[in-house]
Amino acid sequence: MNAISVRNLRKTFQTKRKAAGLRGSLRALWKPAFQDVEAVRGISFEMEAGELLGFIGPNGAGKSTTIKILTGILHPSSGEAAVLGYVPWQERQALAFQIGSVFGQRPQLWYHLPAVDTFYLFGKIYELDDGSLKRRISFLAEAFEIEELLETPVRKLSLGQRMRCEVAASLLHKPRVLLLDEPSIGLDVVAKQRLRMTIQRMNELEGVGVLLTSHDAGDIETLCRRVIIVNHGEIVYRDKVSALKRRYLTVKTVDVRYNEQLAPDFRLPGVEMLKVGRYGAKMRFDTRITPVEPVISGLAAAGSLADVTVSEPSLEDVISAIYARTEA
Amino acid sequence: MRTKEANVLYPEGRVRDPSAAAVAGKYWAIFRTQLLNSLAYPIDLLGRSLLIILFMWIFMNLWRVTYGATGARSIAGLTLADTMWYLMMAEAVMLSKRDLSETISEQVKDGSVAYLLNKPFNFILYHFAAGLGGSVLAFGGNLIIGTAVVWLMVGPPPGMTGWIFAGAAVALSWLLDFCFSALIGLSAFVVEETNAFRWIYQKFLLLLGGVLIPLDFFPAWLQTVSLNLPFAWIIYGPARLFVDPSLARLGRVFLQQGIWLAVVGGIVWFIYRRAAARLVINGG
Repeated sequence: MNAISVRNLRKTFQTKRKAAGLRGSLRALWKPAFQDVEAVRGISFEMEAGELLGFIGPNGAGKSTTIKILTGILHPSSGEAAVLGYVPWQERQALAFQIGSVFGQRPQLWYHLPAVDTFYLFGKIYELDDGSLKRRISFLAEAFEIEELLETPVRKLSLGQRMRCEVAASLLHKPRVLLLDEPSIGLDVVAKQRLRMTIQRMNELEGVGVLLTSHDAGDIETLCRRVIIVNHGEIVYRDKVSALKRRYLTVKTVDVRYNEQLAPDFRLPGVEMLKVGRYGAKMRFDTRITPVEPVISGLAAAGSLADVTVSEPSLEDVISAIYARTEA
Repeated sequence: MRTKEANVLYPEGRVRDPSAAAVAGKYWAIFRTQLLNSLAYPIDLLGRSLLIILFMWIFMNLWRVTYGATGARSIAGLTLADTMWYLMMAEAVMLSKRDLSETISEQVKDGSVAYLLNKPFNFILYHFAAGLGGSVLAFGGNLIIGTAVVWLMVGPPPGMTGWIFAGAAVALSWLLDFCFSALIGLSAFVVEETNAFRWIYQKFLLLLGGVLIPLDFFPAWLQTVSLNLPFAWIIYGPARLFVDPSLARLGRVFLQQGIWLAVVGGIVWFIYRRAAARLVINGG
């Protein structure tokens, strides 16, 4: 069964418009003008049970709106959606027992209290009995390595520690789907790695499906097998992360160094020269246009090679290239 | 697309039991957590309660002069001591009620309402439980300090019945005040900026609710107007009951609070249902 299935989802907001200055303000009072903003324009996708799915896009792409519809907070203008078999906006409370959510920019832990107090509150909110709640807390405390932190007021925790507590809190009621919206925002490299590992472990241990929104391509690359990219309220790409890399990582950058001086007019056909120095050069080519072999043999023929480095763009570059392509 | 399960499995395979006790338990837990949160800063809590000393000192000077000038032992059935104890209770309620309208309208404006709505509780009841958790300690602090000060000024407080009757009425006062706060807060869904409503409500409470002056001192016509408005039953009702704890008065206060709770509470419920159905979250 699919954990999430969305068909042709649309959401249109009405926003007020006002021309600049006093005249505009007065006119808006007399005759308010509205503009329809299409935040989500016919999105369809599926997420399998237990899947880790990346859901990314630039600011204002419609990600958050989609997630809010999926949690039942927003009503769509049209279209269908089912999360674990529930229609979110009709059965919000029943669904709430089955899903968890973490919004990186909206902490849910009570700031002045130790995390364990919020854990007990959530336990009651999700109607867990005391015995199960205690066992669940000690299980999660161990899995997230937060045993030592639980009794410290949340305001005294580092951002990385706090975020581990946030994710643990969202899993107290053993949800089957977890919505993670920018969980790694503001975290340092080590804290990010640790958070990713824990999410991965919980996915393996309990089979919780994760819909992950992130601006950090690293999150997507390490956690998700599949990714959906949205822009302007539409899906612009969906496939495996590995396919995304294979398909878009065709541009190679080559750094080459020689033991002897290069000819000043050093060029290779079908290759864009970025920089040519006396003993080395930097160039770029697309394997779909120029095959690898003539480039490499051309490099070898130009002199005695000291070193060659071939690099690919990062996933981040790929994603921004996709955004740029869909801006047009 | 609808394959909803009949039972909801929980950790250790437990079947969810949505009993009334579990539902009450969740709002109790919210109340308790807010109580703990208030206790995180005891000095701040005490500081707020000290404000009542200043108010009582001002009222004492004002009313001593007034009573002295009229030469009467009692005005409209209230002695100077009655008036001071009345004002102590009125201020204790006024200073302990939490301004939930601001919290709610901020949450509506900045969109954080969304993050409360995705949990299995009722948004309105959540705020009521949390607000109550904030009020109870503040009210206790105000009562202790207020009682000490007024006792020094005018002698011992009214008897035990007054405390019990007033206590019961204050609980309903908070509920009624909460309904108004929720109404103002929820209006942010429509008007975005709610400060004006909040300001007007506060002034109604101060003047027609009996915070500054016992309503008994008003001219007859203004008294009639005030007593037929809900504001009197948030402040005047319990405070007057404190100094005159008769069963007849208790009945009247409860009846009026009940009527207004049904009216204002009903409007809140209706508006909340409407608002939740066409929710537009800022920063979506």
